[in-house]
Amino acid sequence: MKKIKEITAKQKKTHRTPDERPVSLSAAKLLQDRPLKRATRSNLEEQVRQQTDELRIKKGQLRQGVDREKLAEEQIHLRTKAMEATLDGVFIIDASGLRYPIIYANPSFYRLTGLSKNEVIGQNYFLLYGTEVESRITEEIKQTLLRGESFHGELLKFRKSGKNYWCSLRIAPVRDANGDTTHYVGIKTDITLMKQRDVKIAEQREELLHVTRVGKLAEFVSSLAHEISQPLTAILSYAQAAQRMLGDREPQLQEILQYIISDDQRAAEVIRRLRSLLKKTKPTFEPLDINVLINDTVALIMTHITVRNKVIKFQLDSTLPLIQGDRIQLQQVILNLISNSLEAMDVSKDSRELSIRTSCQDTNTILVEVKDSGCGIPQENMSKLFVHFFTNKPDGLGMGLSISRSIVEAHGGLLGAKNNPDCGATFYFTLPLNKKNDQ
Amino acid sequence: MNNHNTIIYVVDDDISVCRALSLLLKSHGFNVEAFARATDFLKFKHPKVPSCLLLDISLPDINGLVLQQKMIQQGIGIPIIFITGHGDVPKSVKAIKAGAIDFLPKPFTGKKLLDAIALAVEESKAINKKQAETARIWKNIKTLSPRELEVFRLVVSGMLSKQIAFKRGTALQTIKVHRGRVMQKMQAKTVTELIHFAQKAGIVSP
Repeated sequence: MKKIKEITAKQKKTHRTPDERPVSLSAAKLLQDRPLKRATRSNLEEQVRQQTDELRIKKGQLRQGVDREKLAEEQIHLRTKAMEATLDGVFIIDASGLRYPIIYANPSFYRLTGLSKNEVIGQNYFLLYGTEVESRITEEIKQTLLRGESFHGELLKFRKSGKNYWCSLRIAPVRDANGDTTHYVGIKTDITLMKQRDVKIAEQREELLHVTRVGKLAEFVSSLAHEISQPLTAILSYAQAAQRMLGDREPQLQEILQYIISDDQRAAEVIRRLRSLLKKTKPTFEPLDINVLINDTVALIMTHITVRNKVIKFQLDSTLPLIQGDRIQLQQVILNLISNSLEAMDVSKDSRELSIRTSCQDTNTILVEVKDSGCGIPQENMSKLFVHFFTNKPDGLGMGLSISRSIVEAHGGLLGAKNNPDCGATFYFTLPLNKKNDQ
Repeated sequence: MNNHNTIIYVVDDDISVCRALSLLLKSHGFNVEAFARATDFLKFKHPKVPSCLLLDISLPDINGLVLQQKMIQQGIGIPIIFITGHGDVPKSVKAIKAGAIDFLPKPFTGKKLLDAIALAVEESKAINKKQAETARIWKNIKTLSPRELEVFRLVVSGMLSKQIAFKRGTALQTIKVHRGRVMQKMQAKTVTELIHFAQKAGIVSP
């Protein structure tokens, strides 16, 4: 290397001055050593020039090699730095033997597990985790890796301190040129926050569904009570009319009529008790941002929407004032309208888009619209939509919309539906901004 | 009880309920007109006799509460007793506030119904009496000449004859003559009575 450098330095000197002079200079030097013919001299000059060129190329190549090496070094350095910096725990397992020792772990790994370097490096990976998670899972990881596949799972783990956390674990094989697994690289991510959020959403959804179920039952009983009270009214009035028409005649018939009357009243009493048992809980009004309420509700069924491969578009007017309403009840209404729309769009795979819009209808009213691109509402069903027990779903009770309507009306608003000009239907409800006290 | 000149209207979409209530009420000597739809009831020409309406809240065409509002707008002064299969407290409060006599949850006994009807019929008589009086006052108002009508309006608004004469640029004597004629045609003995008439006719607010 040194030698080449010297030569190049020499060449550099030679070529420092304009074209002809350095040639004549070196030629003159040669002439001093040995007399030469003009032809030979020019030949020599040519040789020197060639050698110079070769040297220049070699020098360039060498410099490139040095640069490349330096670059590679920098790259490795960067990668190591990045691996140390990442918030995910990274570790490498040696797969050459049966001991599966961990040969590297980054700082995040120690932070996540709560283990120290001494406790990790050189330890058998599977033994290390045998104490942490169920052996069944360890075995599953082992089997997956032995098949040469990568493993991905979410596990509830414990830190050394005993505090548990949710961990997303991915382990992939690292192969050499022959395709043989030499190492495994693993990444573990703390997903506790995500899990907690999921659990919270699931709880809220469960609560809402529970309230909805109770609401459905109450509405069901109420409707049943109404249906039965009609014939009971008629029977009572018939019997009392007959009693009066008989006057003093036919005392036995009079007695029978009296039995009919008292049994009718007994049935009425049963209904009254049933109704008071399932009395609707009084709505509790609080100031609510309807847009927040919609977002919260959609979050509860987002998985449901994604699984069905549907898309929700929002057009929420952020300038809307707060409304007075019962959070759970209004969520029930929103949920009901969205699920109906989703079901209406199940018919066709082409209809995917559901849009939710909020706006100010006028200064005192806000409007919420849920628009789907589904099958729409047949005209003959339009008038029956909000009637109890009316449904076109095979497993429907026909309660959802009628409950929604009574909730919206209890809030002083209106619930309605219309078919869209192109396809699908829009369900909408209004809510007054200044709730009257007479509700 | 003499119920022969009293009409009870029944509006309920359940035909059996309509029929049973009609039979019961007829057995008590009432005249009964039953309708399954609110619009049919509205179209009916209601005679000016003591009457009362038994109205179901949930009807297929117009909701009972809406019918109540329409009757108020159209000046159909028939007292209402709501009957309902739902034990709906907020609706009953609303109905009573809007002037309903009572709110009977179904099924109800004949006694409860008749008690409510008795109240309603009393109310109906009072309404009819008031309406008859208003009609008589308007009949009198229509006999006034335009000039007398103007004097009538100014007198009941509290102006003295002198002020009226000054305002109209007419002799005081002329106004006094008009005023005398107004009192005579309106069959009023005092100015106070005249003002009462004007209030009942809705010319000045009480």
